[in-house]
This record gives sequence, C-alpha cells and structure tokens, in this order.
Amino acid sequence: METKKKKTVKKKLPKDFKINPSLGDNYAEQPLFKDKVDRANHILKTVGLPNFEATNKKSTAHN
Amino acid sequence: MLDDRYHVDTSPDLLTFEFVSVGPKGNITKVVRYTEINIKGFYNLGFGDKDPITGYLRDLTVTNNSDSQKVLSTVASTLYAFTANYPNATIIATGSTEARTRLYRMGITNNLTDIEKDFVILGLTEKTWEPFRKNIKYGAFLVRKKL
Repeated sequence: METKKKKTVKKKLPKDFKINPSLGDNYAEQPLFKDKVDRANHILKTVGLPNFEATNKKSTAHN
Repeated sequence: MLDDRYHVDTSPDLLTFEFVSVGPKGNITKVVRYTEINIKGFYNLGFGDKDPITGYLRDLTVTNNSDSQKVLSTVASTLYAFTANYPNATIIATGSTEARTRLYRMGITNNLTDIEKDFVILGLTEKTWEPFRKNIKYGAFLVRKKL
C-alpha cells in the first residue's frame, strides 16, 4: 500500500514572526491601499522600469 | 537596525503583516501589505493604521505614538520576511504624503550600510531611477533583494 506523505511548506520567517491563518481573510474585502497601488502603476508606466544590474554596478563603483 | 521591533503576525502567503504599536496614544494596530501591481513581480508596499471602530485601513493617519523608529524597523523586518519567500520580487514604496516619503528616506539613509548588504535600493528623481544616495529628495523607492 502506498502511503502519501503530507507536504509541509516551511516558510522562512524572522524571529518574532508568527503565521496567523485568519489574517489574509480579515482584509479580503478591502481594496488595500488602492491609491498607492494606482500611483505605483502610474510611476512605472510613465518613468519606466529600472535596470537594476546597471544601477547596482554603478552603485558598487561609487563605493 | 532591526533589533528593537514589534512582534508581527503574518498571513500564510506572507503578503499581509500586522503588528501593534504601543505608546502614549494607546495600542494601534498597523498593517503592511505587499500587493502585486500590473507588472509581474513588482509589488507595492502599503502601510497604514487599522481603524479600531470600522476595521478599515487608513494610510494618511499621523499616529504620533512616540515609536516611529521601532515602527520603521518593524516595517523593514517585513521586507526581509517577504523577500525571503519572494526572492525575485521588486518592491515599490511611496509615502502617502510628502512627510511620510521623507520619513522613509530618513529611515533608509540612517541604515543604508546595513540595507545595502542585502538589498539594491533605487530612488526616483524627477525623471529616472538612480542608486539611492543620501541627501537627495526622491519621490519613490524601489527595492530588490541581492541574489
């Protein structure tokens, strides 16, 4: 007989962090921080996406 | 930087975080939420107070609970938890007011050496993204974990 192993996904959490299963549900009906999300979309649409690799090299060169 | 911070509850998907600020104004529940925006892999960092009566979140409230450094450290610690589980995510943070954006900038400036060990951080000038530098006024910030 084949026994199924229960899969457990271990989250990486800093100390003093605790998973609260009900937390996601508590805010499910709220469009959380919609203004900020809209602003973030607007910024990235108008300014464009950054080139992290290039800017990181530039930053490292400064140091 | 992150030693003095509040205990944090997180949703199982590690997108929503909640903690309680304790100070002279009482106990105030704070919520941090990472929301994926229109561009895949880009998440907005939302942060605000939970209204004790309605349960709704407000990000324009000025709490003045005499613990702003501890609150900032706690928000920063959620960034570590979030990126540990979403290592390829890029986080965009904008203050809901100019004062709050300035507060974020000061928080980053004061801990830049530590932050840059683990993250690449960019600031938005009027026209473009550039590596974060001290004493520059930025309108938004982008953060990505160093891989």
